[in-house]
Amino acid sequence: MDTEGEEHGPVTVRANQPDRSARIASLVSAARAGDDDALGQIVTELSPLLWQVARAAGLSRGDAEDVLQTVWMRLLSHLDGIRTSMALTGWLVVTTRREAWRVRGAGRKLLPADQDWLSALPAAEPGSEEQVIMDDQRRALWTAMRQLPSRCQELLRIVAFVPRPDYAAVAAELGIPIGSVGPTRGRCLAKLRALLAGDQGENPR
Amino acid sequence: MTHPDPGDWPSADAALDDIDLQTLDGIREFFQTADPMPADLPERIRFSLALRDLEIEVAHLADEEDQAAVPVRGAEHSRTVTFDSASLTIMIRIDANADGTARVDGWLAPPQRREIEMKTVADPLSVTSDEQGRFAFASVPRGTAQLIVRPAGERQGEAGRSVVTPALIL
Repeated sequence: MDTEGEEHGPVTVRANQPDRSARIASLVSAARAGDDDALGQIVTELSPLLWQVARAAGLSRGDAEDVLQTVWMRLLSHLDGIRTSMALTGWLVVTTRREAWRVRGAGRKLLPADQDWLSALPAAEPGSEEQVIMDDQRRALWTAMRQLPSRCQELLRIVAFVPRPDYAAVAAELGIPIGSVGPTRGRCLAKLRALLAGDQGENPR
Repeated sequence: MTHPDPGDWPSADAALDDIDLQTLDGIREFFQTADPMPADLPERIRFSLALRDLEIEVAHLADEEDQAAVPVRGAEHSRTVTFDSASLTIMIRIDANADGTARVDGWLAPPQRREIEMKTVADPLSVTSDEQGRFAFASVPRGTAQLIVRPAGERQGEAGRSVVTPALIL
């Protein structure tokens, strides 16, 4: 990939991705052979994604923790069928989502008090000038996200945490239409971009 | 709020470009700040996975109100936590000992005699509950811990699985 751009954040991340897939694949095969440390590294790497999957499904923080523990334990008996980073990420995301629905279906209220991220509008009184710009960007994103259908909010929240080489696998598992060559923007991201573009210059705040 | 003309929307079928990736980065940063995973969660999960025992029943925290309190480090006061699994309810009370360790008193419901193991940051500890389901660990090192209620003796055929709690911080 673009090695010239290594100084710039997002490009660097993408440049490292093929290595990452190979590394995860070898961690999976080590874990299958009983290497607890390899398994632990996978847990550390992918738990932040699964946390967002569980929370985006509407679980309280406590329930989300339980669900993650359950999903990782269940992975132990499924390791034999998983060979690639894509397969691993896809399996984990889908299993977490299903388990989250199961737990939520067990009579819990739809939106726990600690789930209301929509009320987390960035603070209005900023300090430095950089802070002002940061807050403006976050507020614009927050405002745009809030206007999306809840299904889009959930999908984008999940996909944003998926390692990039695994986008296609996760998108397929979640039922997001993708083209034959790789992940496409999809309706949710296209809508969000349109909203962000429409917001520019006309935000009264 | 005016809605942009649908004709101006970026095509949903186009491949992801740099702006998409930056937007996704922005969403990730937003949720990392607005709703971060508890920093010690991966460590507690790693701890649980070390069991690698497939014949287990996982107990869940029973009381939602208590959940936020469980992972808190260094809480010095006594607290009570209840775990539920399909076959068993496990209640524990955690008290601070003067020497910095923790005392854990527990009850099993329905009451029964079981072997109970406490995985700790040091060596695992082992006790047996009495006929009333009561058990106690007098001195447990502070840090990550996890209870494993072992299967009962063969005469109680159906209780054949271990019940484990999520890892918690003492």
